[in-house]
Amino acid sequence: MYQKAFLFNGIGSKPEKLLVKLSPALTEKYQYYVDEEFSRLGLQTALENNLPFDRKVAEWIISLICDRVVFEYYLSQGIVPDIGAGYSSGIVSISACFGAVPHTFAHEIIMMNRATMRTLEQHHQNLDMGVILGLDYQSVQDILQGRFTPEEVMVGSANSIICTMITGQAEAVEKALAICMEEGAMKAIRFHTGIAYHHPCMKQYSQEYNDFCGSIAYQNPEYPIISVFDNRIMTEGTEIMRENQLNVYTPIRWDLALKKLTDLGVTEFFDVSANGAVEKFSRINKRKGRIYTLSEL
Amino acid sequence: MKEITEAIRQELTDLIFNYYAEECEVDRDSITMDTNPQEDLESDSLMFVELIELTSEKYDLDVKLQSIGKYLLKTPMNTMKDVVDMFCKIYQYGNEIVNQ
Repeated sequence: MYQKAFLFNGIGSKPEKLLVKLSPALTEKYQYYVDEEFSRLGLQTALENNLPFDRKVAEWIISLICDRVVFEYYLSQGIVPDIGAGYSSGIVSISACFGAVPHTFAHEIIMMNRATMRTLEQHHQNLDMGVILGLDYQSVQDILQGRFTPEEVMVGSANSIICTMITGQAEAVEKALAICMEEGAMKAIRFHTGIAYHHPCMKQYSQEYNDFCGSIAYQNPEYPIISVFDNRIMTEGTEIMRENQLNVYTPIRWDLALKKLTDLGVTEFFDVSANGAVEKFSRINKRKGRIYTLSEL
Repeated sequence: MKEITEAIRQELTDLIFNYYAEECEVDRDSITMDTNPQEDLESDSLMFVELIELTSEKYDLDVKLQSIGKYLLKTPMNTMKDVVDMFCKIYQYGNEIVNQ
């Protein structure tokens, strides 16, 4: 039933690293969307001219627009998804590309992160995230257990056997990353986001964001989407809305979502990120499938 | 411990150089043993992990990334020669690389 899956990345890639991967034709399309949306949202296309919170969301919206351009390119090449998955803010991106919400609304969801940042600032919260390369979910769990409480730091996303993301209080994240290096991680990188996405503590600081996510009726997506939280196959608009609301404060199991897709028969995975970032941090059983990137297509 | 021949060492060197040339989009001939993979080629850790996976698969090696991570704590990789030497040790010692 399912053969091709589209994979959408979250935030994190620098705009310049995304844009360099677009062909001239795709860059032209990207520029058209950016000019239109940035003007509508009151953002400056010269990113350094934006206020700090605006600059962050502007970078994230660029990521979504790149996804849209790549997604439309794949469709134009006759590559049509049977199903899809979104990693973190990739959930917002896939919601728009798969037709559950308009792209304009998806960008407004991203803009709402400013409200979350303001709330965190008002509550003097010092949160952060980090990524560990070379250690899997269980190894990181073992390291955290006994040293930290889940309130301090926890796994925010099990990406693959080579990549795990942690989230929580900034000080604990920093300490945990250092311990992971001592325990044999290849690399441990602090994000300095000021936000602990995918940590349950975020629920209390993201009410405005969540209310906004639920402020319109979602259409049923044109293609099913697998939940990265509980592996449900979602086909209804209300489920996509719920997924967007859970996104900020719920830990992700990206590894299990990809395994489930493989179990469902998916053999061709298409990385919708312009720079092939999903392919880099994801792992699938090579005997059962393969991840294709824009540069290969 | 596996024996490493000059032929295997050369094969590993070619595999590593070709991999970095392709991933970092540079001319293969511009890479030398003195090239710094991070600073000169702008390679990242994910590329390095993928290279380990590729090599492990090609030579059917049983090695955990964690063992290599612990080895790297003692032996940083500043040049391509360091990278080649490390992969030769992975080939020879597998998980025991951590004790080398």
